Amino acid sequence: MPKILTLGLKDLTLAFRDRAALILMLLAPFILTLGLGFVTGRFSGGSQSGLSEIPVVIVNADADQLGDALADIFASEDLAELIAPTTVSDIAAARQQVLADEVAAAVIIPSGFTDAVLTGSSEIVRVEVHANPARPLSAGVVQAIVEEFLSRVQSGAVAGRVTIEQLVRTGRLAPQDAPAAAEEFAQRQSAPTTGAITLRRDEAIAEAQVEFDVLAYLAPAMALMFLMYTVGRGGATLLAERNAGTLARLLASPTSAAQVLGGKVFGIFLTGATQVGILILATTLMFGVRWGDWVGVVALVLAAAAAATGWGMLLAAFAKSPAQVGSVGAALMLIFAILGGSFGPNVPLPDWVSVIARLTPNKWGIDGFAALGSGNTLIDIVPNLFALLAMGAALFAVAVFVFRRQGLVK
Amino acid sequence: MAKIFAIAWKDALVRFASRSELLFFIILPLVFTFILGGGLTGGQDVDRRLRLLVTDEAASPLSADLLAALAKSETVQAEVLARAEAQREFDDRDASAWLTIPGDFSETLTLNVKTQPNDLNAQAAERAILAAAGEVGLANSAAQQSAAEAGRLRPFADEAERGRYLDEARTQAQALLADAPDRLEVTRAATPDRVPYDPGANSSAGQLITWVFIPLIGISALFAYERQQGTLRRLFTTPTERATYLLGTLGGQVAVALAQMTLLVLFGVFVMRLNWGQAPAALALMLIASALAAAALGTALGTVVKSEGQANGLSIMLGMVMALFGGCWYPIELFPEAVRTAVSVIPTKWAMQGLLDIVLRGQEVGGVLLEAGVLAGFAVVFFAIGVWRFHYE
Repeated sequence: MPKILTLGLKDLTLAFRDRAALILMLLAPFILTLGLGFVTGRFSGGSQSGLSEIPVVIVNADADQLGDALADIFASEDLAELIAPTTVSDIAAARQQVLADEVAAAVIIPSGFTDAVLTGSSEIVRVEVHANPARPLSAGVVQAIVEEFLSRVQSGAVAGRVTIEQLVRTGRLAPQDAPAAAEEFAQRQSAPTTGAITLRRDEAIAEAQVEFDVLAYLAPAMALMFLMYTVGRGGATLLAERNAGTLARLLASPTSAAQVLGGKVFGIFLTGATQVGILILATTLMFGVRWGDWVGVVALVLAAAAAATGWGMLLAAFAKSPAQVGSVGAALMLIFAILGGSFGPNVPLPDWVSVIARLTPNKWGIDGFAALGSGNTLIDIVPNLFALLAMGAALFAVAVFVFRRQGLVK
Repeated sequence: MAKIFAIAWKDALVRFASRSELLFFIILPLVFTFILGGGLTGGQDVDRRLRLLVTDEAASPLSADLLAALAKSETVQAEVLARAEAQREFDDRDASAWLTIPGDFSETLTLNVKTQPNDLNAQAAERAILAAAGEVGLANSAAQQSAAEAGRLRPFADEAERGRYLDEARTQAQALLADAPDRLEVTRAATPDRVPYDPGANSSAGQLITWVFIPLIGISALFAYERQQGTLRRLFTTPTERATYLLGTLGGQVAVALAQMTLLVLFGVFVMRLNWGQAPAALALMLIASALAAAALGTALGTVVKSEGQANGLSIMLGMVMALFGGCWYPIELFPEAVRTAVSVIPTKWAMQGLLDIVLRGQEVGGVLLEAGVLAGFAVVFFAIGVWRFHYE
């Protein structure tokens, strides 16, 4: 046991003395986490997405009640962080700003818009959202704001008409009094919220979601991606030692093959667990990431490192040279990352690929971290821990079988 | 000239000596472009809407209206399931959101929704539910206001009369809303008839830049390798100029990168049906400028790295970080304004902007001159640094 420990600690020390390896083990995942934090809006006031101060140009050719109301909405305090509106009077100039990629969209309110809506005219007078296709998300937000406004306008107009017509039909209102009643109704009608449908979040889920920190997903996603690099590198050192003859020299000492292999595996595991641990600690200290149950986090780090170590050993068992481990390991790192969710949960994958993704440590690890980050505890991630440990054990068994067949030093 | 070709050919042989290089040259770039462009989910013809579990416990006309509104959603694909089945699917994380229409929906007008905690799709699904609820709520809201006004003028005899009044008002409101003219027109700049919008274009351009920049920055590893092996010094004992060596190395790698980019563009055109071919001259200009900028960056980096391993690590890290911050993985519009401004100092931002100008905004050579010019500027500066700081050992 002391020999395994010594060999493991030796590999850990060598890995953390290798500046080139540190770039990919620690620096790359840290900077990429930072970038993804920007993308998700984690560093910009906690908004749900990274969109802010969307530049919009407004042309209010209507200059009447509804046109002014729509322009006011874009300039409102509620949207101050999200939208950065400007106003021009020339429609061609507004379109040019979109074409020049200066704004995400131009909102063009045509002349006579208010009249057409209030008189119930079927004349085609439409607000135009001239979208910039290079900024589809921002343009989509602008479109949604205009849609919501038009929906409210439509609701008011329909409510007024239905109310007056029904009052007349049921004899509650004399036909000759209808115009005056309609005007009075319109004035009394402020926010047409009566009868609107509301959405209620399930309380248990809502409580769990309140403190969820998106970095508790993104940081382990990046850490697990580069954990695959680390274990591949560890596997490559085994082959490098075999090629350099130091493995044979080690076996000439009173050290068994099992101890050498055990020490190597322990070294890879220790390096991987330390790498992920450092990244978790760094993001906690620098970004205040809320990880959830710490016991669960530690257990998950160890289990993920064990599963990844299994992959590293498997690579070393089948590869012919350290360079081959390096290149195949890098490829595996990227493939596992995209399948397992390291590039974000929105990658469009069919169901059958999602099943294959369960072969990656990334998938089980990221799901586990997300569960802990949203309020779950060690008990809730037992399936993830079991899957990761089983994966590590199975892969290690295959690697040992291959090593035995071909001989550790051959 | 023969020496330049010989050096370029030697570098190509060294690079492709291992078959695994093909993984990074073409296989992984194609796989990533295909997956991120939605290719695995069936391309443009397949329903890519988010799956929304729905349990309808009300089974009322109002819940039917809501389901009809959800069916029209461009964001979610509603799937009505019994509670137990929906619960199981939700627990298995097979859907981002689960909507329950409670039995008393018609009275309370309240819906219950559960969303997965770590799922960005859940937010989109929730917005889609709100939009559908808003559409159904319009008629209901109008009916409620009408009934309230009627009750104010002459109270209803009983709840049944109020209920009938409400139903009639809702039916009339729905009819009016159905006949109401559409008041919104959405147009897209410079795109009608020329460049149809396709989100796949974004991932195609982004992956192209990512996978080409990483090996070109990796030129630094070539220099480090030759320095470590002593072959660089040996080469210069022959009658070979430093410029000849640099031109051979850079020219060869740029040529390989251009071949790689051409393959990726052809894949985009023929497999993903992207509109890469609408301005071939502009595309060629952008690809050459991008490759030169990345290769020159690799040359400059080659003067500061100490070992091949360090160069490999740095080139992968720089390539990935510059791809992320340059908008190659996620639209750059998601970054805060300050970051968007700051990333103007990295070439990937300009490369991505130029390619999107072509494929999304229908620009031709004149429209990408700025981006190509900036990339050429990067190339000159980095190459000058590379030549100035060039050393043999």
